[in-house]
Amino acid sequence: MSAPDLPLPPWVLVRVFLRSLFLQASWNPKGMQNLGLAYSVFPALEHLYPDRAAREEAVRRHLVFFNTHPYVAAAIVGGVVNHEVRIARGEETPDKVVAFKAALMGPLAALGDGFFWLSLKPAVGAVSAAMVPLLGVWAVPLFLVLYNLVHVLLRVRLYWLGLSLGDRLVEAVARANLPSRGAKLRAVAATSAGGLAAWLSVSFGTNAGGVRAPLLAAGCLALGVASYVLVSRRVPNYVVLYLAAGLACAAGAFL
Amino acid sequence: MSVVWTQVALAGLWGGLVALERKAFLQAMLSRPLVAATIMGLLLGDVPSGLSVGLLLELFFLGTANLGAALPENDTLAATGTSAAAATLTTATGAGSTPAIWSLAVLLFIGLGRVGRRGDRLLEGYTARLARVALASAEAGNLTRAVRQNLWGMWPHFVLYGCLTSLCALAGFFVEPLLQALPPPVVRGLAWAWPAMASVSASLAAQGSHARRAPLYAALGAAAVTVAVVLLLLQEHR
Repeated sequence: MSAPDLPLPPWVLVRVFLRSLFLQASWNPKGMQNLGLAYSVFPALEHLYPDRAAREEAVRRHLVFFNTHPYVAAAIVGGVVNHEVRIARGEETPDKVVAFKAALMGPLAALGDGFFWLSLKPAVGAVSAAMVPLLGVWAVPLFLVLYNLVHVLLRVRLYWLGLSLGDRLVEAVARANLPSRGAKLRAVAATSAGGLAAWLSVSFGTNAGGVRAPLLAAGCLALGVASYVLVSRRVPNYVVLYLAAGLACAAGAFL
Repeated sequence: MSVVWTQVALAGLWGGLVALERKAFLQAMLSRPLVAATIMGLLLGDVPSGLSVGLLLELFFLGTANLGAALPENDTLAATGTSAAAATLTTATGAGSTPAIWSLAVLLFIGLGRVGRRGDRLLEGYTARLARVALASAEAGNLTRAVRQNLWGMWPHFVLYGCLTSLCALAGFFVEPLLQALPPPVVRGLAWAWPAMASVSASLAAQGSHARRAPLYAALGAAAVTVAVVLLLLQEHR
């Protein structure tokens, strides 16, 4: 992909990206990420609009309601800069950038929530937790590296796509095929969690049980299966956890 | 019982920093329970407690997500508060970190997730006021002040959650006499409760993975691990 044809120096583009990392610093119920968006694009607006009145107008159009996924927002931040450049050049009207944000924030939020919050985060969390018995404390750097390799690369790439493609970034994002990748990650999360539940049960039985080891391991595993069923039937997680702790406490005290 | 104030201060500092990282800045997952609790353990000189508490809470809160305007439970506060309390409890006992300490800390402090959600809701009132100030400043032509309001939203999170985490660290020292007063069978029961809770949390994690065939995948994972461990044990016994 070619470098975007923007009249903005690279350091301004870098500043906008770095400021976009604070997108949710003042998340509020009315405008949601509006302050964060205005804060992010402000260095670009300062550069594009030397005229004070035009700059004020530009800032005001980004203080309206805005909410999307904080990582995928990088694409919209880049796209907003792309549109503002064209508005400053007189190539399009200001309503285009407002329409651009309004059209993209919902779909991109759904895409980001589905991929990052509901797929990548559980998958990396479950895999790293499952690695604790093998790696010990090194499972923590593994978590950070695995997650941020995807997170940071995608965030930078999406910002670049927004900057260089503007409205056409939708096709590029669609090509990334995030929903189907998300489904695979969720399967990895479930498999890792199941494996860890079994390992915890078997190792507990071996460490605590002596001749009763198979019985204790099976009991612990059964507790896991029962808790899965209970939570599926809308029993609160906390109730299930305290119930399991109570049973185990009683067993430990009396067996 | 003597309180180690540097531990209390360090706990507050780390608790405040990850509270910011959780939503206001970056979100590189330093605030996830596994990471936040382990680093808390490292800072307070008790890595085993941090790692064990972090593992359990990572699994317990695996399915929670901040979707739209909905506020999930504050898994970060639960992790930093619980691990800080477990670490100071270990310090107070003078012996090493044990599963009974981890269980007690989890049972006493896991509810911080709900406390944190209330805190998040409370702080929304402050950020709503910042938004109004920003709009008024933009109308008055003071653009720099308008956009900088964004950064003012961070300090209450740092202060509130830093203080709460410090209080948890402090509470760890005061729980120690309670642990000492427990009869040995109950302490043994608490030690058994840790693997049971961790196993249950792993099942909850499988349920919270949002996978379409989560029970099938979880069963496959469990079966593979069980067979592998049993084969390994049989080989060792030969």
